[in-house]
This record gives sequence, structure tokens and C-alpha cells, in this order.
Amino acid sequence: MNDQKRTPKDSSTGEEKKKINRRDFLQGAATAPVLGLFGYALYKQQSYEKAQKAALLNSKPVPSGLSDINVALLGVGAQGDVLLNAMLKIPGLKFRAVCDIWTDFNLKKAVNLLGKYKHTVNAYEDYREMLDKEKGLDAVVIATPDFWHAQHTIDCLKAGLHVYCEKEMSNTLEGARKMVQARNETGKLLQIGHQRRSHPKYIHCYEKVIQETKMLGRIATVSGQWNRAVQPDIGWPEKYAMPTDRLKKFGFQNMHQFRNWRWYKGLGGGPIVDLGSHQIDIYSWYLGSNPISVMASGGTDYYEPKTHEWYDTAMVVYEYDTPQGRARAFYQTQTTNSANGYFECFMGDQGTLVISEAGGRGSAYREKSAPAWDEWVQKGYISAPKVLETPAAGSVALDVRETVPADEHKIPVELYDPYHKPHLENFFNAVRGNEKLNCPAEIGYETAVAVLKVNEAIEAGRKLTFDPKEFIL
Amino acid sequence: MIDEKKYTKCQLNAIVLLRVLIGWHFLYEGIAKLMKSDWSAVGFLSQSKWIFSGLFKWIAANPTVLEIVNQMNIYGLILIGLGLIMGCFTRIASYAGILLILLYYFCNPPFAGLFYSIPMEGSYLIVNKNLVEAAGLLVVAATGTGKYLGLDRLISKWIKK
Repeated sequence: MNDQKRTPKDSSTGEEKKKINRRDFLQGAATAPVLGLFGYALYKQQSYEKAQKAALLNSKPVPSGLSDINVALLGVGAQGDVLLNAMLKIPGLKFRAVCDIWTDFNLKKAVNLLGKYKHTVNAYEDYREMLDKEKGLDAVVIATPDFWHAQHTIDCLKAGLHVYCEKEMSNTLEGARKMVQARNETGKLLQIGHQRRSHPKYIHCYEKVIQETKMLGRIATVSGQWNRAVQPDIGWPEKYAMPTDRLKKFGFQNMHQFRNWRWYKGLGGGPIVDLGSHQIDIYSWYLGSNPISVMASGGTDYYEPKTHEWYDTAMVVYEYDTPQGRARAFYQTQTTNSANGYFECFMGDQGTLVISEAGGRGSAYREKSAPAWDEWVQKGYISAPKVLETPAAGSVALDVRETVPADEHKIPVELYDPYHKPHLENFFNAVRGNEKLNCPAEIGYETAVAVLKVNEAIEAGRKLTFDPKEFIL
Repeated sequence: MIDEKKYTKCQLNAIVLLRVLIGWHFLYEGIAKLMKSDWSAVGFLSQSKWIFSGLFKWIAANPTVLEIVNQMNIYGLILIGLGLIMGCFTRIASYAGILLILLYYFCNPPFAGLFYSIPMEGSYLIVNKNLVEAAGLLVVAATGTGKYLGLDRLISKWIKK
């Protein structure tokens, strides 16, 4: 390097050094504009993140001055208890009456719980007495065993109440049809408890992933499952056992049947109905059509068949004629192992959506050949991708027929409330006339048609077809 | 004091650029953590490996200590970043930055046979980007360019007055 270059011309020397001159100020503040640039970049980044967050909130306004709704509960067993706990977090509800045939246990428990929240309620064993005496009721939440749903719902609708009825809508299609009829005749609301229909993650995926962006492309296959670990039969405290004649009056042979009605033919529908119907409902919703055929294999392979009349295992294949074309959907439910829990998986030629009601579970995977998803990441519909590792060449031989694994984009919407709260809220807001029901009776009916046929298909041991008219009332 | 006669303008400007870029990185690392209300070093600390892991895991396990460490980290990053960008107390900022980076480095050192559950981008063996950034700061500290372009120029003159 030559010497001349080594001496910067603007360097200060000697006496000048101690005086602060204009040049010192310029040099001293020379890098300050970088902070301005930083501030601008930070502002840009912040507004981008803000816009993403706003896009996710769906900007539902907080309602003010809610009118109180007078609510009765019909059936406060395990599921009724879940619903009640969710409802206690919803403002604007006045609980007036509770009805349950297990007066010494379920009924007492619910009345006590409501008492703690300063709701004084009247307790009933017979729902007809409740409907006779309680005037002023607006709505009823029904969580009785499936085989009671039709009668309870119809009587409540006819008594002038809006009804939220747990799924399965009914254990028979005839019952479900009559429920829709009663709804039509009375003009009251009837919401069926397929609560994923109101789950923000499911709504987000339906509106953004499936409908708006169509980022999965053509969905040709679907799979899903609910695998549950072995569970013992549900017991009861012996001192609260109900006498047999009382049980028989309400359709049960004994306490075991009363507590484990889901496993008995004529009362419930088994795991395919209890668990599967939630997810098969999502198949139809996201595919935009009802199935055209079903075949299924199942049986009581593990549990005692005398007390488990319905199948503990069911493996089902549906065919759908979707607006995009033919699709096939596999569904499995088994009750002897919990591997991989429960989820639904929609597979399109451009991407895959894996979604579950379980928290933290929801991702979209882009096929390598699909158009970029950057726009959807920027809009906040999906998160930035996590690149999944490909097996290192050499260590694992990658077959030419294999494709590179797709990148994972998390679905950025989660529910931090009890699972049933948004669906109940939707119902009560509809009662106030502020919202449309997310799962009105006719939707619940379509799902019941699709699901109840699985048990028929297992019994028949062959493929059964659906007449499109079956879904129409 | 930097001897401006020893270096060409080009050399000095290159070091200032290095200083400003590292400063920017520090500043944004700090501000990003500050903006993310739920940020905590707990995950990073609790997967610590090698001989200092006991200390880092102890920090992660003590909520009070962890909170202090989190706050010191956030504001340390911001102050160091500002110092480096503005050329203000450049040497102190550089050495503090080196200290901070070495803490990160020895919390999760990329040594043969150690693995971490929080994924790192890239492939490293002993030398990783942290170490390179620390070495960059050593260059900044050794040359003290704040007195060439930066507030240190004014500060040193003001002190001498």
C-alpha cells in the first residue's frame, strides 16, 4: 500500500484535535442515518405482522348490551357437564331449569355447580314436567343419550323453545327426519352439536385454505382417524344406583347400560357415531358434497360383545362426487390404541391439510411442484414453512419414484376456549338473531345419513350406495 | 485512539460497515425479543450442552434469575446494537457484544457429538456464525472506528477539552 493513501485527508492533527469543528460533527453523526433506516424497516415489519394478526382475528365485534337468554338443560351427564362448563363462560345466559333422570347424582351435581355461579335453578326428573311448569324459557340444551334426542328435541321445539341438541342427532334416521320436520313446523332454531363447525381453526381452514386460495388443488383423497386407548367401562357409585324399574321406565335394562349406553344397539351408535361422526361431518363440509357410497369393516374384536354390542373397531371407505371430481376418503376409529390420536387429512395435488380439534395440531404441506404459497404466508393464512429434512443422499437410498417431502406450514389459528364454547355461542347468538346457525338440523341430518350407514355396511359386509335423495328431506 | 494515518479510508470504512451491520443485527435481535411479549431464553438455556450446561440449566430453572437474564439479554442487545451503529462507546459495546455471543456459543457449542432439539440452520463444527460475529466484533474493538465515524469522535474531543 502506498503511503499517500494511508493518510486520510480529513484527519485532524495537532491543536485542531481538541476543538470540535463542523467536520467532527459530520463524522460523529455519520452513521446516524442508519438508525433512521432501521426505524423504517422496523415500522414496515411491525405493520406486516400487525396485518397478519388482524387477518387471523376474523374481527368479530364484541357484542354489547346482550339480552339475557333463559336456558334449560336436559341431560347433565358427562357430555352435559362439558357443555355446562363451556356455557358458564358465555355471558348473557340465565340458567332456569335442569333436568336429569339420575336425580341423586347428575342432577344434584349440576344444580350445585350452577349454585356456585349464582344461578338458582329448578330441578326436574321428568322433562315434560319441566316444559309444563317453566314458562319464560327461551332455549334448551339437550345432552341425553342418542335414542332420546328425537323425542326430547321435538317436544322442546313444540313447547316453543330453541334447541341445541348434541350429536348424534338421533340413533335412527326416522328420528332425525322428525326432528327436522318439527323444526320446520315450529320455526324454532335447531342446532346440532357438531362443534367443529364453529371452531375458529376449522372455519379458518375452510374459508381460507379450502375456499379462497384453493391451495390444496384438486382433493382426490382424504383420510382421518380417531384412535383411542383402551378404556374401562364407566362405573357408578353403588349408593347412587337407580332402581331397575326406574331405569326401565327410561329405556335402560340396568345401571351398566345406563352408564355405558354408547355401546348398546338401540341406545347409541358405537365409536363410529360417537367419534367418527365429528370427523366425517368435516369430510362432507370441506369436500362440498355428501358421499355416494360406503364400505366398511368392523367388529367387536377386543371388548366383551355382551356389553359392547357396537363395534369397537371400524375401518371405512367412502366415495364422494365432489365439485372437483371423484374423491375417496378413508376413516378409522378403534378403541384399543391411541397412536396418532385424532385428525383429518385432506390430500390435494398441490398440498395437504392435516387438521385436528386437538390444540397445536394443524398444518398445510405444499407439494414441491405446486405454485408458491408465499402470498398466503404473507396474508397470514398459513405460517412460514418449516423445511422438513430430506434423507441425506448415501445414508438412505432415495428411490427415483419417491418425491421430496413437502414443507410444513402451521395453521396459525388456535382455540383457547373449551371446544364447545364457540358452537354454543353461535347458537345463542342465533337465538338473539345476530348470527346464522353453523350446524342447523339439515346439516346434522346429512351427517347422520352418512355416518349411520357405516354400521349398516359393516353388517352387510359389502359396499352400500347412497341415493342422493337420502340426504334431502 | 484509532490512528487514522495507519489505515486507508477504504479500510476504515470497511470496518465501519462491519460495525454497523453487526450493530443492526444486535439491535433487531433485542427489539424483536422485546416486541414478542412471551419471549424467553428458557428453551435455549435448558437444552445447553457441554461443561457449562449446569450453569445455563440452573438459570433456566430459576424463574427470578431467568427473568433477570432475559431482561439483561434484551436490553444488552439493544444497547450494544445502538452503540455499534452510532459508534458510541464502541470498544465497550464491542467487548460486551463478544461476551454475550460467547455466552450463547458456550451454552450450545457446536462440538462433535452434541445435538440440539431447537434446530439450527446450516452446518457447523466448532465454528458457527456466533463465533464469526464475535471475531468481527474483535476487529471492531481492536480498531475503534467510533472515533473515525461515530459519536466517540465527539465524546473523546469533549473529554479532552
